[in-house]
Amino acid sequence: MLWNIAFRTLFHDRGKLLAGLVGVIFSVVLVNIQGGLFFGLIRKASLLVDESNADIWVGHRGMHNVDFPHDIPERWIHRIRSIEGVQEAQPMRIAFSEISLPNGGHEGTMIVGLKPGTDLGRAYEIQQGPQEALDHVDGVVVDVCDDAKLMDPKIGSVREIGASRAVVSGKCYGVLSFLVTPYVFTTYDRSVEFSGGDPTMTSYFLVRTEPGVDAQIVCDEISRRLDDVSAMTSEEFADMSINYWLTRTGLGLSFGAATALGLLVGLVMVAQTLYAMVLDRISEFATLKALGSKEAEILLLLGAQSSLVAIVGIVIGIALSVLIRFLFSTPRAEIMFSQGLYAGSAVIVFVICLAASGLPYLRVRKVDPHSILQG
Amino acid sequence: MTNLNFVPDAPNGLGHTASSSYLPLSDNPLAARSTSPGITDKQERVLTATNVRKGYSIGGEKRWVLDGVDFHVDAGECVFLSGPSGSGKSTLLSIIGCLLESDEGEIHLAGQRADQLNVAERTKLRRNNIGFVFQRFQLIRGLSAKDNVAVPLSLQGHSLQEARLMATEILARVGLEMHRDQLPTQMSPGQCQRVALARAVVSSPRLLLADEPTAALDRQSGYEVMVLLRELLQATNSATVVVTHDPRISEFADRICEIENGRLR
Ligand SMILES: Nc1ncnc2c1ncn2[C@@H]1O[C@H](COP(=O)(O)OP(=O)(O)OP(=O)(O)O)[C@@H](O)[C@H]1O
Ligand SMILES: [Mg+2]
Repeated sequence: MLWNIAFRTLFHDRGKLLAGLVGVIFSVVLVNIQGGLFFGLIRKASLLVDESNADIWVGHRGMHNVDFPHDIPERWIHRIRSIEGVQEAQPMRIAFSEISLPNGGHEGTMIVGLKPGTDLGRAYEIQQGPQEALDHVDGVVVDVCDDAKLMDPKIGSVREIGASRAVVSGKCYGVLSFLVTPYVFTTYDRSVEFSGGDPTMTSYFLVRTEPGVDAQIVCDEISRRLDDVSAMTSEEFADMSINYWLTRTGLGLSFGAATALGLLVGLVMVAQTLYAMVLDRISEFATLKALGSKEAEILLLLGAQSSLVAIVGIVIGIALSVLIRFLFSTPRAEIMFSQGLYAGSAVIVFVICLAASGLPYLRVRKVDPHSILQG
Repeated sequence: MTNLNFVPDAPNGLGHTASSSYLPLSDNPLAARSTSPGITDKQERVLTATNVRKGYSIGGEKRWVLDGVDFHVDAGECVFLSGPSGSGKSTLLSIIGCLLESDEGEIHLAGQRADQLNVAERTKLRRNNIGFVFQRFQLIRGLSAKDNVAVPLSLQGHSLQEARLMATEILARVGLEMHRDQLPTQMSPGQCQRVALARAVVSSPRLLLADEPTAALDRQSGYEVMVLLRELLQATNSATVVVTHDPRISEFADRICEIENGRLR
């Protein structure tokens, strides 16, 4: 019956119900979009690792972020290859350089050099141009989403990178760096040319383990044999790269603060609506009390109304968030949703709505049933 | 002296069983009243209030609204409470209805010392023993007539389905069978007060309290409500207190008490 009263009185006052719903929907959409943008952005910090097809990353023992490697001797690769459980190991170079633009200017780029004939480190999928684009002499692969920065390179466009000729032989989609510098994929040897530096040194070794082998055990063995390197699973290195940016930039804090502020606005809207609804029918609460409703039942009634508003609002809010992502998400500003984000936003907003029913309850608690007999 | 030993445990049948428990209705309420059983000296005393005092401090000075009121009602008896405006009628009704605490005095209600109960216990006493009718109906706007009447039953723990069934039955008794699914805003004041009346008696309360039940109604509707009230009381055998200014309905009283200067005359 309590549910019946809660439900019917709530839906009786459609205008206020709508206002409350708007508050909830606003909160849900805000948390989802903010969260989605955050995860979409932070994912770029570990994109090269996530898409590398490697089980283990080996780098200098001080490595902390995939985009900022420290040189290690390339010849150490042989020691890694001889370790039991290693199926394949390849070096990978990451280095800064500059690419010339048609207007005579330059743009900083991140050169990623990969060994031919392997998919280790190949984080891109060709969208324009031949599949084996790097087989082209002087070939490089750039991302469609960096077109503006690189001044619209076409397949076959010629550029200069670090005083060497480069031909755009393939384009990928959505492989973007967390930094503003575009990734330029090329072969290992060409990357040495493009970025200069010591050809006997490299940035990372990427390792694929044999099926069924525990990557952690292989990591330990690599660290044991090579003093000056750090070996970690791809998941570990991805987390490390993300944490690097989170802690260095305060990104989590600023996104978190914006989200919290939005939630606060949502909370106030819901609380205010419920409060206005209750003020409107304060004599009904006095009547319920006179007829013998316990305090707990009144609280339950308000809680039930909040929950109803919350649940309907959360469902609509999530649907709206999905629509917004569908319409507006791009690789540059990617909105990345996950079950965790949906569940998290739902739980937070639900709890907030329950808390919001506290405000009207404070008012209702003071209602004296005797008051209805006073005219 | 009170007669508290004479309290039966079982509630009256109205609402709890099929409509067969209702007494036959007469066309003339006054005739029905004169033939009603039990208005004898053997009637059970439902409420006794002894030496009740209630005052408000205004500017540090205590002003007594009720100053030593003795009052009682028996089962099946309908007592009218009248007096000038501001004389304390509603205050007394609130006190015997366990909505307000008196400053002094004893209240014996349905075998309990109501003045010694805590808030939760008084709430329970109200829910199980008292029905209320208010001047302005106090129906819940979002609920249909049927669901409004079902509220007290639900509070007593009946299932919604059961409560609705009983509510529908009693709405038929007050002539609103066709209106049972309408909202209060879709009914006339007279109909609303009949719904409120149905709500007050649906759980067969030991004590029925009405504060100016006809004040918001026109003459005809007021009369009809009082006729219905008397009819329903026959079935529930509730002790009834009606606060009213309205001389047109005094014929419905078994006894009329008047408050003046904080005391009953
Ligand atoms: N909370 C309060 N504080 C101070 N005085 C109060 C309070 N409540 C009631 N009173 C006073 O108590 C007196 C009795 O009030 P009550 O409502 O019982 O009168 P009443 O007989 O029902 O009047 P009416 O016929 O106008 O309804 C009034 O003088 C009123 O001013
Ligand atoms: Mg009054």
